[in-house]
Amino acid sequence: MSVSTISTTGRTFMLPDLGEGLTEAEVIEWHVAPGDEVHVDQIVVTVETAKATVDLPCPYSGPVLTLHNAPGAVVEVGRPLLTIGAERISGAEEQSGSGNVLVGYGTSEAKRSGRRRVNPEGRPTAANNLGSDAAARTINAPATTAPATAAPSVAPKVISPVVRKLARDNQISLARLAPSGPGDVIRRADVEAAVRMGEAGLASQEVAPAQVPAGADRADDIRTPLRGVRKTIADKLTRSRREIPEATTWVDVDATGLMAAKDEIKAVNAVARIGLLALFARISIAGLTKFPELNARVNVEAQEIVQLRDINLSFAAQSPRGLVVPVVHDAAEMTTAELAAALRELTELARDDKLTPAQMTGGTFTLNNYGVFGTDGAAPIINYPEAAMLGVGRIIDRPWAHEGQVALRKVAQLGLTFDHRVCDGRTAGGFLRFVADCVERPVLLLAEL
Amino acid sequence: MTLTAAAHAAGAPASARQQVTMSGAINRALRDAMTADADVVVFGEDVGTLGGVFRVTDGIARDFGQDRCFDTPLAEAGIVGFAVGMAMAGFRPVIEMQFDAFAFPAFEQIASHVAKMRNRTAGRVNLPIVIRIPFGGGIGGVEHHCDSSEAYYAHTPGLKVVTPATVEDAYTLLREAINDPDPVIFMEPKRLYWSKGSIESAVAATTFESFGHAAVRREGTDVTLVAYGPSVDVAMQAASAAIESGWSVEVVDLRTIVPFDDETVVNSVRKTGRCVVVQEAQGFAGVGAEIAARVQERAFHSLHAPVLRVAGLDIPYPPPKLEHLHLPGVERVLDAIARLQWDDNADTRFLANASKGGAA
Amino acid sequence: MTTHTSTPVTQTVPSDRPFARGLIPAPMPVRFLDDLGHRVQVFNDDYPEPSSEQLVAAYSAMVIGRRFDIQATALAKQGRLAVYPPSRGQEACQIASVLALSQDDWAFPTYRDSMALVTRGLDPVEVLTVPHGSAHCGYDPRANRTAPQCTPLATQLIHAVGFASGEKRKGRPTVAMAFVGDGGTSEGDFHEALNFAAVFKAPVVFLVQNNKYAISVPLSKQTAAPSLGYKGIGYGIASEQVDGNDVMAVLAVLNKAVAHARSGQGPVLVEAHTYRLDAHTNADDATRYRDSQEVEDWLRRDPIARLEAWLRHEGLIDDAFVASVAQKAEAFAADIRDRMSVDLALDPMSLFDNVFAAPTTQLLEQRAMVEAELEAEAASR
Repeated sequence: MSVSTISTTGRTFMLPDLGEGLTEAEVIEWHVAPGDEVHVDQIVVTVETAKATVDLPCPYSGPVLTLHNAPGAVVEVGRPLLTIGAERISGAEEQSGSGNVLVGYGTSEAKRSGRRRVNPEGRPTAANNLGSDAAARTINAPATTAPATAAPSVAPKVISPVVRKLARDNQISLARLAPSGPGDVIRRADVEAAVRMGEAGLASQEVAPAQVPAGADRADDIRTPLRGVRKTIADKLTRSRREIPEATTWVDVDATGLMAAKDEIKAVNAVARIGLLALFARISIAGLTKFPELNARVNVEAQEIVQLRDINLSFAAQSPRGLVVPVVHDAAEMTTAELAAALRELTELARDDKLTPAQMTGGTFTLNNYGVFGTDGAAPIINYPEAAMLGVGRIIDRPWAHEGQVALRKVAQLGLTFDHRVCDGRTAGGFLRFVADCVERPVLLLAEL
Repeated sequence: MTLTAAAHAAGAPASARQQVTMSGAINRALRDAMTADADVVVFGEDVGTLGGVFRVTDGIARDFGQDRCFDTPLAEAGIVGFAVGMAMAGFRPVIEMQFDAFAFPAFEQIASHVAKMRNRTAGRVNLPIVIRIPFGGGIGGVEHHCDSSEAYYAHTPGLKVVTPATVEDAYTLLREAINDPDPVIFMEPKRLYWSKGSIESAVAATTFESFGHAAVRREGTDVTLVAYGPSVDVAMQAASAAIESGWSVEVVDLRTIVPFDDETVVNSVRKTGRCVVVQEAQGFAGVGAEIAARVQERAFHSLHAPVLRVAGLDIPYPPPKLEHLHLPGVERVLDAIARLQWDDNADTRFLANASKGGAA
Repeated sequence: MTTHTSTPVTQTVPSDRPFARGLIPAPMPVRFLDDLGHRVQVFNDDYPEPSSEQLVAAYSAMVIGRRFDIQATALAKQGRLAVYPPSRGQEACQIASVLALSQDDWAFPTYRDSMALVTRGLDPVEVLTVPHGSAHCGYDPRANRTAPQCTPLATQLIHAVGFASGEKRKGRPTVAMAFVGDGGTSEGDFHEALNFAAVFKAPVVFLVQNNKYAISVPLSKQTAAPSLGYKGIGYGIASEQVDGNDVMAVLAVLNKAVAHARSGQGPVLVEAHTYRLDAHTNADDATRYRDSQEVEDWLRRDPIARLEAWLRHEGLIDDAFVASVAQKAEAFAADIRDRMSVDLALDPMSLFDNVFAAPTTQLLEQRAMVEAELEAEAASR
């Protein structure tokens, strides 16, 4: 805002703030008319403000060109009063056209046209704009921050910033944890438990309170609330079944050859302790290399299938808290001996309940040896967000057609459960057949190494 | 007469491990400053002949003369304004407001002129004034004699606010205050006037650079107590008592509220993860609130619990018979420490549904 | 009682006896010239008449001072100043207060003493910096021996006392001229300043410009004292009252008061009766609380007119001189106009200088924040 503007047509006197915060004035009477010659400080108009009636002296000399308001008009501070024609301009007046001359102390600020700058730290995301106005800016708040949505469901309460950060670092969604402490405050124990169960990268959901089953209210029924880790697992399984259109294909195999191979390796290299699980791992990896479509995941939001470059092999293991799924990262880079060592190490850690979050996340394919439970087959639930799981049943003596005779061979059932979105039956069958062939004749692996 | 006065009147140096009172330490600081700089003058009500109602200026008028230490009319605004003029003429006035609340009539002079003169004149006129104010309670004093007004001064830019808690700091910080080219509000915890300590090394110092440097009075690992002035003593006692409960308590003595030592306080809280601020003044909108805000802003990610304050109640300072309920004591500090979410137990004090919640 | 005389009273050196009448002011304001500029004798025996040089200088200064004041008022109405508190009508007090001082003396002005300051020689643009809004004090107080223009009334009086007392203690013969209005004499700080000044025998002259109004509150609501000059007796301060529109009288009284103070005899309180012709500031409407007849009456007591009449009568000035002074005044005003139409670039970072001698860590953090804000804003344009 300025008192003066220089244009080719003249200089304009704007209405100033005449009283420490006044915003307008009414024109009472003009004392000059267009065409009159006025000199500096000559009284040209009388105006009335909320505080007083004031005679205004003109800052310029020259002919009056325009009177901008009629008597009775109410003029806002900063708006034109009259324009004086250009005159022989002195050096100083020339400079005054810079537009910096003061007017209107205490009058309204220039209207803000949107956010004037990004966060000086260079992170303009809405999540960091805590001080900025308008709810509009929180629309794109990332999912990892607790949603500050309305009504009774408030943001999760966490015992301390340290624990909150622990959760965030492990991609634990706070909203999916059921707090175990009084006041519904999520405790460190809750977060650590969730981390140990290998839960990761889940989008936020409503925290559903534990429901008492309707109707079946018998005193001796045993109730276990779905809270904490139990709840997390339940949610994940549910999501897997809900989202993934899975199919299962299975085949019986004669694993005698694999068992023999295992014994031969042991005879030569007992130190490496390469067991069946490691061999099945090696075969699975070879299979995934051959059929990479199965080492993938589906991103529904982005509407795409992502074929993952690295093979991170998940496998089932027992821990004091129940089943856990540790992950051998970059399994494809390992030798079979290294695989065996990794599997063994992770199994021990699981048994001692010492797995770290990193060791329980990032899997791309699961090898599930449920045969240890003494069963043959299963239609397992895929380990979301993976796309496939190879299941191995128990290996027992069974009659088999061997070289034209009926013989007792070491037979097992292999099952492949897969996300039908990532491939068709041909690929899945091809993978399973390949695995079966390698189990029956391990030497075939040589061609795939 | 105090040990100090007797010793110094004779010009004898402080012997090894000689104990002086805080009042004596301030007296000594005034004397040393006046000896070092002829422009240092002391004035106020009753500071001359009487030597001050707390004997802080005992003997100074006699030893340095009425020109250097003199009594004024009973007019606090006048005393401060007079100091402004004297400072403009080249003196370094060290003036006294007899009690904390009696500085209020002078508040306009302090806030509108003492604090602003340098800024108003773009640095051409500075006011090296020290305003000594005995503050705080715990002495069984009647109304108006026990207030803690440091927040008003801390909130006024242009003033430094200094709160010694120890005898040594009473000497050191006052010397620095007098040397400072800017105005200093020097708040003396009157209930510690008779506490004893050694100033031997302080007196021997040639430079005084403590402003803005808080002191860790006691190291610990579990929780940081931040305090200043008379509350440092309380914090130290609480720290000792806390050992029984298994807490290792660190105590930070701010020494100067303005300038504030963010670094020492934050480093301590980053180490311990827990913080309690202790102050005698009423809690609402007090200095403790500023400290708590700064700590949570700067050490947020290290916090295991909210930053708590133990402060005076939000009441006018009570009569002597009830002041013990108002002043933050060791028990109240320990109660606050107990609330700091130990063993993964959340502080549910402000949660509506605190009784709900299942077993882990 | 008045007599018309054309013989100037010879000047005498200040004597050792107590200031004029001592603690009690003259029963009527001291006067040398009546409204028309005729020489009179109104309780002015104790005051040597000012020299011709001083009177001619006073005339020029008043003309220029008034022109400055009118120009500043116009600038406020043009939005070039946020506000301007005028002292039109008080020229005699404004000029005499300064002419009575030596170069080494100090002035402690209020916000309505701009005219006095430009008379003292301060750069008018620097004087107008405060109403202009670019700084809290536009001039160097030490270089100009003038304290910053004080807004909280009467609070700077005690500074004047402390300062003058300090100067005396340092063996310097400095006198402080402390300015206050009728309203300011009600403030507690007025009382404390006078008391301290008397007790410490500070070399201060308290000039009370009684211009009859404190914004809208008239003198009758401000005090029940017979006149403000009587306030001195309670403190033991020598006092006088003078016709504040008679510059000869004001100069005479102030000359003596300054000499009295400088000689170590203590402070003096001088009440000058004058009138604020304009409203409090451009934001005030004086018609709400006084009638135009009163203003008319005071216009007839114009300080410049009556001194001009006297000086012409004495042959000390003529038309040519008057015209040349008027021209000087116009040039003075034009220069101010020109210079005030150019805005100085203000350095935003200066906010953080001069809070303390050296900024605290916290101030440096805030400085960095503002710097970053400005850079980001500049980048986004």
